[in-house]
Amino acid sequence: MSGKQNSAGKTVFSFLRNNTVPLMFILICAVCIPISGFSPSYLLNEIITRLGRNAFLILSLLIPIMAGMGLNFGMTLGAMAGEIALIFVSDWQIWGIPGVVLAMIVSIPFSVLLGWVCGKILNMAKGREMITSYIISFFINGIYQLIVLYLMGSVIPIAHGSIKLPRGYGIRNTVSLLNMRQCIDNLLAIRIEGVKIPVLTLLIIALMCILIVWFRRTKLGQDMRAVGQDIHVARDAGINVERTRIISIIISTVLAGFGMILYLQNIGNLSTYSAHSQVGMFCIAALLVGGASVDRASIGNVFLGAILFHTMFIVAPKAGAVITGDPMIGEYFRVFVSYGVITLALIMYEMKKRRQKASIGAQLALAQKDDDRHEPGIGAQPSPARKEVERHE
Amino acid sequence: MNNKRKWIFRGCTLLFVLLLAGLMFLVGRGHTVYIDNKTLEYNGESYSALERSEVWINGERLSKLSKRDRTMTTTIGNSFEMKLINTEKKGDDPTEVVVKLSLPYSWDGILVNIPGYLAGLPQEAWLSEFIIEPTPMEEDAEEPAGEDDIPTAEF
Repeated sequence: MSGKQNSAGKTVFSFLRNNTVPLMFILICAVCIPISGFSPSYLLNEIITRLGRNAFLILSLLIPIMAGMGLNFGMTLGAMAGEIALIFVSDWQIWGIPGVVLAMIVSIPFSVLLGWVCGKILNMAKGREMITSYIISFFINGIYQLIVLYLMGSVIPIAHGSIKLPRGYGIRNTVSLLNMRQCIDNLLAIRIEGVKIPVLTLLIIALMCILIVWFRRTKLGQDMRAVGQDIHVARDAGINVERTRIISIIISTVLAGFGMILYLQNIGNLSTYSAHSQVGMFCIAALLVGGASVDRASIGNVFLGAILFHTMFIVAPKAGAVITGDPMIGEYFRVFVSYGVITLALIMYEMKKRRQKASIGAQLALAQKDDDRHEPGIGAQPSPARKEVERHE
Repeated sequence: MNNKRKWIFRGCTLLFVLLLAGLMFLVGRGHTVYIDNKTLEYNGESYSALERSEVWINGERLSKLSKRDRTMTTTIGNSFEMKLINTEKKGDDPTEVVVKLSLPYSWDGILVNIPGYLAGLPQEAWLSEFIIEPTPMEEDAEEPAGEDDIPTAEF
């Protein structure tokens, strides 16, 4: 009886330990929702809008995790590629859904190039992919600023004065995307009890999920999983590890470019110099909130994370205003929480890794003790502790 | 053989993407169409504005133009269709005209003069490019935002 209770307690404790971040967010939302006083239909409307806006971007993070490259902070590169494509499409005056499709096509070569550069660099920094991709995004941001601020309009032809800075070159702080605003969200949209459901956007996201599931089963997907599990074993098995890793980053960057275009068509304007700067951070935070970790993430984590993170985003400022009388507290709170959750997830991942290592070490010591005691002859069965160590190895 | 098939597949995909991009270029070109009910002077003759003209687009009334009025609409693609319900002079019965236009690809803004069109004048008389000079903005307002600007509200 006591053993059963002990086992149940262990299961509950293990569940709590593995889902600390989502549970924490569920708790925050459960406290903040009643305080904020938002109606359920308003809340649902906002959550569905934000889910449609951000889910594609978050999905772009799954493939590098599968390939064992951690959280791809370099998705910002794809976001920049998407923005450059949108600037061109705005200048060419291609509107509506054709504009969105053309921007996606135009973003592909930029994303592929940036993804290839990022993948090459990350291959040189194996084991330090996350910090490297984070710094790469700052480096490429500098190049992006140079292109957009000085080369566009002077070297790269930009015809429309409404996009250019008054001095004749460089792009304005804000580029209007009014002519393609919510063109995908509004097509096939339905309203149920005042809640707008952007059916086409959700269908695109569903299609993307199916593609990811299908991709996992392909030869390349299996190779990525093998590389993610153990680079050395994958290499011994004849997989071109470097190439596989580069392809995973290229796919992620291209998808991030598409995601950014979908995101901006929903917003309806492009903040030329800052729209991409926090995208990676917020998408990663949302994925971690969904219960993902550095080495494991699923489609379910994407949706749970997007819903919880954005519920917190919606209710926190109002709840902050009600509690403290100052809405800015709520604004700071959500920024602080998004950075905090990344830190917490990284600490927990590192702790889990160390715990696993320590557990293997303890078992190895036990196995050695057992081996010394029994001194088995040839053909003798290994001790249970030895078996456990071998299983881990 | 397998390699050859792979390259053929890749080539076909690239071709498809390029064709799709070309198609988007053609069908997605946006124009702003300005519709004028103003007296038109052409070759020394005057074509006077209508008493009233109702502009209908896609089954919805866009505007009711009196003399010297102008309205505008946006359209995607190079074909444009509108229905006009015109009253030439006070007390006249309104007449209905369906106008179908092929819009020049390179023009962003297009000005259509209704009296000129109804008089059957050549296209260059009633169709012209409409260029708007962008409003100058203060330099200070156009300084790029700093790294610390967090777009939380948008996200």
